[in-house]
Amino acid sequence: MSSNEQYSVEISDLKKRFGDFEAVKGISFKIKKGEIFGILGPNGAGKTTTLNMILGLLKPTGGKIIIEGIDNAEDGEEIKSMIGFMTQETVVDSYLTARENLRIFARLYHIPEERIEQKVGHALQEANLTSFGDVAAGTFSGGMQRRLNLVKSMIQEPKILILDEPTTGLDIQSRVGMWQEIKRLNKAGITVILTTQYLEEADQLCDRIAVIDHGKVMAIGTASELKRLVAKGNLLSIKVDEDDVLKVTKMLKSKFGLEVQNKEGTLVAPIEDKQLDKLIKISEELKKEKVNVQTIGIHLPTMDDVFIKLTGASIRDATGAQQGEKNITKVGGFGRR
Amino acid sequence: MGLLYDSITIFTREMLIFKSNLRTNVIRSMMFPLIIIIFFGNLGNGISNVPVAVANYANSPTSVQFLNTLQSGSTLTIKAVTNEQEGLNMLRAGSVSALVVILPSFPKTQNGQPSVYIYYANSQFSETGVAIPFIDNAVSKFSGQTSNVQIQNDVSAVSTQGTNSSYRDFLIAGVILMSVAFGGVFGGGMSIIVDRQLGNIKSFLITPISKNAIVLGKLFSGTVQSTIYGLLALVLGFLLGGSIAMGIAGLIWIIPLIVFVAAAFSGIAIMLGSRIKTIEVYTIIAQTITMPAWFLSGAFFPASSFPSWLQPFNAADPLTYATNGIRDVMLNGFFPLNHIILDFGVVIAFAILGIIVSFGLFKNTIE
Repeated sequence: MSSNEQYSVEISDLKKRFGDFEAVKGISFKIKKGEIFGILGPNGAGKTTTLNMILGLLKPTGGKIIIEGIDNAEDGEEIKSMIGFMTQETVVDSYLTARENLRIFARLYHIPEERIEQKVGHALQEANLTSFGDVAAGTFSGGMQRRLNLVKSMIQEPKILILDEPTTGLDIQSRVGMWQEIKRLNKAGITVILTTQYLEEADQLCDRIAVIDHGKVMAIGTASELKRLVAKGNLLSIKVDEDDVLKVTKMLKSKFGLEVQNKEGTLVAPIEDKQLDKLIKISEELKKEKVNVQTIGIHLPTMDDVFIKLTGASIRDATGAQQGEKNITKVGGFGRR
Repeated sequence: MGLLYDSITIFTREMLIFKSNLRTNVIRSMMFPLIIIIFFGNLGNGISNVPVAVANYANSPTSVQFLNTLQSGSTLTIKAVTNEQEGLNMLRAGSVSALVVILPSFPKTQNGQPSVYIYYANSQFSETGVAIPFIDNAVSKFSGQTSNVQIQNDVSAVSTQGTNSSYRDFLIAGVILMSVAFGGVFGGGMSIIVDRQLGNIKSFLITPISKNAIVLGKLFSGTVQSTIYGLLALVLGFLLGGSIAMGIAGLIWIIPLIVFVAAAFSGIAIMLGSRIKTIEVYTIIAQTITMPAWFLSGAFFPASSFPSWLQPFNAADPLTYATNGIRDVMLNGFFPLNHIILDFGVVIAFAILGIIVSFGLFKNTIE
């Protein structure tokens, strides 16, 4: 077994084929112990399929998954006890009380009967739900349900926690609360793997990020490493009237040698040296050409820029279609498409 | 930890959900039986002048007196026949609803044999429901003992003969099984679809339990819930004036029949739920299976009254055997060994088939 003490999850050349469609085309990455690892990608990228294979819900067509040194083809059951999973849909049994919800999962994870009550009590405390222990979970607010769901996923004290879009649909306060909770768990030594559609979330929360598209890893690294892929320096962004877009694009290319990308009406181009000089010169040129400039500025690359560069899609398109993807998976079709 | 432990956990979860909706579940399960028994259970009341053939082999003053008693009032219209065969021919031709044979020993029993035989045709169930208790009652008046009459029907292929042959009791057997079958198909097992839609199945599958534990747990809970529905229908039947001819001991036969039918339909529910993705489609398909199975079992009408082309369907319907078994107990008060073997044999085979198929077809959400 080619496992390394340092890694929690080692994936090599992972493949999954559904009929004619290859959803995952040889993905490899290693997740270090104690890391928060983000998986980013647009609709149909293969994120969910990859997660499902790590979770043991899908059998890979090819490749290897080693979790905490154990090959998941060899001892799936052992691995399942080491992974906690929180789905995007908040899965709590709404007719059952919080306590009953936790008790059922404690049993499903084979926690010895004599330890269950203590565990359940502790979990309720963690979720700040002690006084709601005997209340039907269906009456809880979204945030309470999410908290219950999280402690439910953690009841077996997993080494790895997988979160599929943990903050989707949450209000800002609950989202920040969830981030703190994820960081707290991570500090306690748990390796966290999460998918997200919020680039800002990936940026702030994740130690490393893998950008996946078309079933392949497009890039992998820390947020700043990924941003450096877009531009070594800063990005120039200019927003002009729609009629002027073409003219300005040509002008920037011919006079300043800038490779311009059109990002929803805003022209973006990396500039590496003498940034301020260039900005002034560009401004003067625009004035001369009588272009109506709405905004102009330079900024550091964002994860959004990374995403667009790597996948060619704006995250907004991806999230719009995301729901459709989820629905297909949920009704038990062949993954997606 | 074994399969059993895991399936008990799933079972516990299902039963907790059932319990939290207990009132709704109970009310829903009782509405249909209640309506059917109240509306149709009294069919046959107000019937009079039922044509009955009488072959009097006794010809004694007592037997003539007995005949007069039968003729008193307007319940029966008596047609005297010279022998048993002539009466049976009339019964088969449908010109009379029953045949009374008075043996020479009347009103005494001889060697333990009864002195009065009553034959009846199943197709005349509402009329015989009135006539037989009346004749039975008259015999007891003369002989002073209730066992001095034997009721038989060799007229029809399917036996539903009995001392309790009121249409209400006849109907209750069918209604109990309706509650069980519908409870099984629309109760526990259907939850697979909802669980899948909500992501519960996925959250079970990521735990170390096996798929089979989920099926087994759902099968257990579906069976228990449908059995509860069946017993509720039985109690409802009692409250609305039904009775068991065999007495309370009859439950020894009735309950296992209910349990096997419950298991079979829970298996069908899991099988369908494993393959069908939406509640809407499920409902249509489940009804298409359950309704005909219920009607064809002779729940409302004796199967002998079905046209001949329907008879094979009746014979192929597993519910027929459960219905017949319960009717033997409730109406006849006597469950002959050959019936026990046939009825239980078919019902148990049906349950085993349902269970095996449900295990075979259960697929997880993703693959």
